[in-house]
Amino acid sequence: MIAQVLWALMAVVLSIGACWLYFAGSNILIDTWARQRVLSQRRHSQVQPWLFLFPALFLLALFLVYPVIKTFYLSFFDGNGETFRGWDNYLWALSDPQFLSTIKNNLAWLIIVPALSTGFGLLIAALADRVWWGALAKSLIFMPMAISFVGASVIWKFVYHYRGPDVEQIGGLNALVMAFGLEPQAWITLQPWNNLFLMAILVWVQTGFAMVILGAALRGVPTDTLEAARIDGANPIQVFFRIVLPQIKTTIIVVWTTITIVVLKVFDIVQAMTNGLWDTQVLANLMYDWMFRGGGDEGRSSVIAVFIMIAVLPVMIYNYRRMRAEENL
Amino acid sequence: MQFSKALALSAVAATVMASSAAHADGHAYKGPDLSGQTVTIAGPWLTADEENFNNVVAAFEAATGADVQYAGSDSFEQQIVIDVKAGSPPNLAAFPQPGLAANLAADGGLVSLGSDAADWVRDNYAAGSSWVDLGTYANANGEDEFYGFFYNVNVKSLVWYVPENFEDAGYEVPTTMEGLIALTEQIVADGGTPWCVGLGSGDATGWPATDWVEDIMLRTQSPAVYDQWVSNDIAFNDARVVNAIQTFGQFVRNSDNVDGGSAAVATTDFRDSPKGLFSAPAKCYMHRQASFIPAFFPEGVEVGEDADFFYFPSYESKDLGNPVLGGGTLMAMTKDSEGARAFMEYLQHPMAHEIWMSGAGFLTPHMGVDLSKYSSATLRKQGEILQNATTFRFDGSDLMPGAIGAGSFWKGMVSYTSGESSQSVADTIQASWDAIK
Amino acid sequence: MKRFRIGSLLANLALLALVLIWTLPTFGLLVSSVRDKDQLAESGWWTALSSSEVVEQLRTAGRDQQLQEGDEYVLRGALLSGTEILRWGSNSRAPEANQPNTSEVLRSGATLTVFADGRYEWRHSEPYARSRGLRVFVVAQMPPKFTFDNYIEVLTSEGVAQAFINTFTVTIPATFIPIMIAAFAAYALSWMRFRGRATLVAMILALMVVPLQMSLIPLLQLYNSIGGWFGVSAKSYPGIWLAHTAFGLPLAIYLLRNYIASLPGDLIESARIDGATHFQIFVKMILPLSIPALASFAIFQFLWVWNDLLVALVFLGKSPEEIVLTSKLRELLGSRGDNWEILTASAFVSIVVPLTVFFSLQRYFVRGLLAGSVKGG
Repeated sequence: MIAQVLWALMAVVLSIGACWLYFAGSNILIDTWARQRVLSQRRHSQVQPWLFLFPALFLLALFLVYPVIKTFYLSFFDGNGETFRGWDNYLWALSDPQFLSTIKNNLAWLIIVPALSTGFGLLIAALADRVWWGALAKSLIFMPMAISFVGASVIWKFVYHYRGPDVEQIGGLNALVMAFGLEPQAWITLQPWNNLFLMAILVWVQTGFAMVILGAALRGVPTDTLEAARIDGANPIQVFFRIVLPQIKTTIIVVWTTITIVVLKVFDIVQAMTNGLWDTQVLANLMYDWMFRGGGDEGRSSVIAVFIMIAVLPVMIYNYRRMRAEENL
Repeated sequence: MQFSKALALSAVAATVMASSAAHADGHAYKGPDLSGQTVTIAGPWLTADEENFNNVVAAFEAATGADVQYAGSDSFEQQIVIDVKAGSPPNLAAFPQPGLAANLAADGGLVSLGSDAADWVRDNYAAGSSWVDLGTYANANGEDEFYGFFYNVNVKSLVWYVPENFEDAGYEVPTTMEGLIALTEQIVADGGTPWCVGLGSGDATGWPATDWVEDIMLRTQSPAVYDQWVSNDIAFNDARVVNAIQTFGQFVRNSDNVDGGSAAVATTDFRDSPKGLFSAPAKCYMHRQASFIPAFFPEGVEVGEDADFFYFPSYESKDLGNPVLGGGTLMAMTKDSEGARAFMEYLQHPMAHEIWMSGAGFLTPHMGVDLSKYSSATLRKQGEILQNATTFRFDGSDLMPGAIGAGSFWKGMVSYTSGESSQSVADTIQASWDAIK
Repeated sequence: MKRFRIGSLLANLALLALVLIWTLPTFGLLVSSVRDKDQLAESGWWTALSSSEVVEQLRTAGRDQQLQEGDEYVLRGALLSGTEILRWGSNSRAPEANQPNTSEVLRSGATLTVFADGRYEWRHSEPYARSRGLRVFVVAQMPPKFTFDNYIEVLTSEGVAQAFINTFTVTIPATFIPIMIAAFAAYALSWMRFRGRATLVAMILALMVVPLQMSLIPLLQLYNSIGGWFGVSAKSYPGIWLAHTAFGLPLAIYLLRNYIASLPGDLIESARIDGATHFQIFVKMILPLSIPALASFAIFQFLWVWNDLLVALVFLGKSPEEIVLTSKLRELLGSRGDNWEILTASAFVSIVVPLTVFFSLQRYFVRGLLAGSVKGG
């Protein structure tokens, strides 16, 4: 066990050492050549950036760019990636009832989770600024950000735990329900509401993120405009909706999109809570299922990945355009 | 960790000593010297099963000097595919589903054991040729080869109960399906709960329900129909299959019949579900599960004393004999090596069976074993059921293609227990079968 | 003024309610993980401090220990000790039928008496026939009990300790390897002039949102062939380190570039004029100045890798030597669905490190979050 940790630490030292050797070696070499005029000054300044960039670009190309292209390519082939199938896999997806119900679930996730996370985040950020223990409250609500989705799933599976009505409940939610004199429910099988119970976990995790970002934006709203509005007789709610909200609109959009991306990739929660049973499947878990279950099918699995990619594409293009514009200023 | 390792070592030493003492008559396993060799094994056995198998492994290690590493996983079905595709399979794999092994064989992922091994199984296993058939698949070129034999078989047609609870309530063990249905109704009428059923099993959630349906198929239709159903020569949404699903539903879709109500069926883990038999007061009276289940009974429960089983009976009104549904794990080679071959040979030796027989949850069709090594009279009784059945059929879902038998059938049964109609469930499963043809 | 106070009270109450909703589930997990496992299975964690009534199923001594007294056979002993029996019964259908210190005539004709202190006496004219003793149900009061047994259990026999080490083995290199690679790239993208720089920066940012799902199948194939060529396993620690390194790079480059680009330009210009090379400037000036940004990224990457499930499932095996905590926890959730003492303790082991890192370095984390999201997204 200790040996394993030492081995990992040695790997850190070795890999950082190797990186260092590469960067130092190549740069010292090219700088020396430039000084000795083996290399022209122009060439030197053309080459050097790529020495700095090479390891990063290589890894990005190998682990992100190439696979994306390959996955598109595979989506036109059969399960073993051998026979060209044209649009067959796409047609299959669009006619498969399970895929369609998965899309329906994913759309629900896409609307509800960002809306609730952003809403709660904003509410908590606003409330926390008004009470003396706000910093502590924020810290506690932020905490789930550090918990893995699987850990969060265990925590909430315990909350949703179900037992028959004639024994004492150990799950928090059913105990609460029984305290109100109602029947306990097997929440994670209760279609279609079970999707909401899974979404609640992601909202629980992501609200802290929304709260921190929106909290910073709220504090950025100039106090004199707020004062002015108050003096004009606006009540706090009016101040919030008429003055504050328009000023933090961009931040809200950013938070909303970021959470949207997280939602599209959500896999762990569904995998750990239901594995897609009881009509709770989402794209990322369906993709994993097709990748491995019953021998796996690379073509269909790739198609599902492509659908996730298509959903992310607008954000990607927007990011790309905005960054280009910023860089060209 | 040091402490537990020491503990494990001493346990191993004790087992090895016990087994070598048991084989003082000279038929103890003596393997080749494999010092320095490593054999990796992947399988579905966890917790108690894993401990028992590790004892079997330890005796092999002691005899050969090889290092055997067993990795158990509850998502074995997915993991072995990942590993084989990754080109990094273990040496040996214990497949709970021959269908999955057949898929891998067709992709060239398994190493053939050759006809000698097939002959050995034919000669040494009771009803040998049926076991050979179950381990013979088409290879990548479409030629049939023998790939694996069964190690650790189980009988599935069993109903577990606590005799003292039956005595307290004055119930008799039913010998016909009609009697079992009447008893179920009687228990409900007396204010009790007849059944504990749990379908939860991680990635494999739903499989216990497929066993119910198969058992009912065998009791309502001829074996030939069963075989046609398994090979999809009759459709999954055939009225005879839908009827079997509904018969299962009569037991579990009625909330009075199952502990926790029918909502609890799909969410309760199958490993936890028998515990209701033993709670005070009992949460249920009966639990239909295969012979391996005592491994998950609460600590201290003695099978034969505190718990017993009866044969899941057949209909008196139907002339179908006494069919038995069984299952088992198939040992196959996913990566050849000297150590791997030696281990496969070791598994043909009675000792490899007897060590686990002396634990729990293990039955074997191996005719060379000493039956007195079974840890209880109960296991011997199961062995009798296994050998005296008028019909023996292998677990159908394990013979169906992986996408059905380890996919849509499981999921369909979960949907069915959660309220979907039997016809709609059967239609969905048939559609998924059509989609992979 | 009064309206303001009501508003403030409402704000306090609303926030308190939200904080409770957000923290109680985790608190429940923590409390449950130190409860006795029998009590945990019987009652909710919110009752952890109160004692509970439990029905227990116990047995008398068997036939080997019976005595003959006159013409009667007697079994005598104690069912339990240290607690008082409130009610008892011999039939599973009526386990609470009798008061202590009373007798019941059994079906067999024998007489069974159970005393409040746990002693019992069985008398019959016929000998007791079975090797197992007679079943007796008793109701007793159980005081609340807290224990670290659950933790000892998961760390020793469930393999969680090894998974903990494995997670470290994955996380440490996967956190540190990308830092230097990203820092060099970020410097080049901030302070070196070359054609296509703007496009490159924009592309890297665009890669930040690429779903990992798009990478899995081709990378698995690639790892397979590489593993095949060298005759090694496709699943290995170095493999997952590289994967995590690459997946973390877009964010790393983005965060570090934001920071490095905001350093004062004249500092770098004057160093250039003095004849320092880019390499020297980077190593001697930029790297030390960037420590806060590096720390922010390191925390992000650490938490991301520690908490990852998908990459570990695909690129790492499930043998005890390789399985990580998230993967282990998911397996336990599948195989130990009702053993909450195992699940709660394992879950807490898996979240204690990220929580510690998080609470002690929250400042850097928030700073990174703000830098990464407000401008990025």
